[in-house]
Amino acid sequence: MTAAGEGMPSASATPDLKDGRRLRSARTRRLIVDAYLALLRERPRIPTAAAIAQRAGYSVRSVFERFPDLHALRVAATDEALLRASTRIAARPATGSRSARIRVHVETRGETCEEWLPLWRALNANQGDSSELQSRIRLIREMVVKRIEDVYAPELSTLEPCRRRQTVLAIEALVDFESWARLRGLFGLSFEDACAVWMHAIDRLLPGTSADC
Amino acid sequence: MNPRPMKVDGRRLRSERTKQLIIEAYLALAQDLSPRVPTAAEIAARAGYSVRSIFERFPDILALQVAAVDYCFAQVSALAPPRGVESDRETRIEAYVQTRAQTCERWVRLWRSLVINQGDSPELKARIRLARDRVTERMELMFAPEFALMQPEERRQTLIVLEALTDVESWARMLEFFGLSVDEACAVWVQAIDRLLPETPGGAA
Repeated sequence: MTAAGEGMPSASATPDLKDGRRLRSARTRRLIVDAYLALLRERPRIPTAAAIAQRAGYSVRSVFERFPDLHALRVAATDEALLRASTRIAARPATGSRSARIRVHVETRGETCEEWLPLWRALNANQGDSSELQSRIRLIREMVVKRIEDVYAPELSTLEPCRRRQTVLAIEALVDFESWARLRGLFGLSFEDACAVWMHAIDRLLPGTSADC
Repeated sequence: MNPRPMKVDGRRLRSERTKQLIIEAYLALAQDLSPRVPTAAEIAARAGYSVRSIFERFPDILALQVAAVDYCFAQVSALAPPRGVESDRETRIEAYVQTRAQTCERWVRLWRSLVINQGDSPELKARIRLARDRVTERMELMFAPEFALMQPEERRQTLIVLEALTDVESWARMLEFFGLSVDEACAVWVQAIDRLLPETPGGAA
């Protein structure tokens, strides 16, 4: 004999079963999102449902069981990218001297651009009239601006508001995804050389401070 | 024997005129629908010709896109000649920014359509590259006194940065996303270019 109730459905077993199913479903969902992102990175074309399903190892039906349409999948992939990019940034806080902050900012931004450029392009190409995608593009841009304002707060605080905004917008233009794409693709720079170009330019764009070191 | 060449010339002229009208119809639609590429039926309706007329002059929509981009380049060159090349630093920066801003303002939607729809087309990619090269050449011309003192690698890096800063999409973002006026957006570029360029030889010149 086994312990009472073992092997039989019980009140406590039902939630476990449900949790297991939920976990598997979440895992499937994540694998579909990963497949979509991987395909985007490999080819600058919008992946089809069949290609995504094949890459994830599921049926097309499974894809559409979790996402009502490809648009919903794009939105989910964008949210996943936002989460991962935010985690990366949080893991490397930009503190210390001016040069140390510039380095951390540029390297994390370079890594983000390197990883998410294909998704960014797909996002822009597909935004159309989608308020969900447009709001995420806006959120990403706001995050980039906020990051610049935070990292360079000591330098920016020495400027009057108009100049401060001009400087932030110039840095934002510089560290745009497509600017990175040109550094790496059009001009053929290595990751380190591309970072060096941005670091040098940001250093020139920022005002000098008495605490520079 | 005279009427024959005239007849042929007349036909050729009409054909060229049709071609030109198709290009203009494509550009007007591409501007309105950007970044979506207009269909042959839409272009034909806008130009006032049949779809067949379009494909008699252009083997496919890509060929029409390429011809339209070439036409735009000619327009940009004609409408935005370099100004103030011999002036002092401040005037040169302002002249460059004004000209670049006008170009961005006028062509942003078509540029966006071109970039998004370039796909794997070597013809369109070559033209995007050519457009960027022209921007770089213009900056080399406008800021020649400042670049003259720089080492080749430093000059290259500065040009890359200035090109990124004054990109069409950078302009569009300042106006569409950050809500700046044209004058405010120009001021951002003027200030940034001034900071990125080295000192002008001989001081204020």
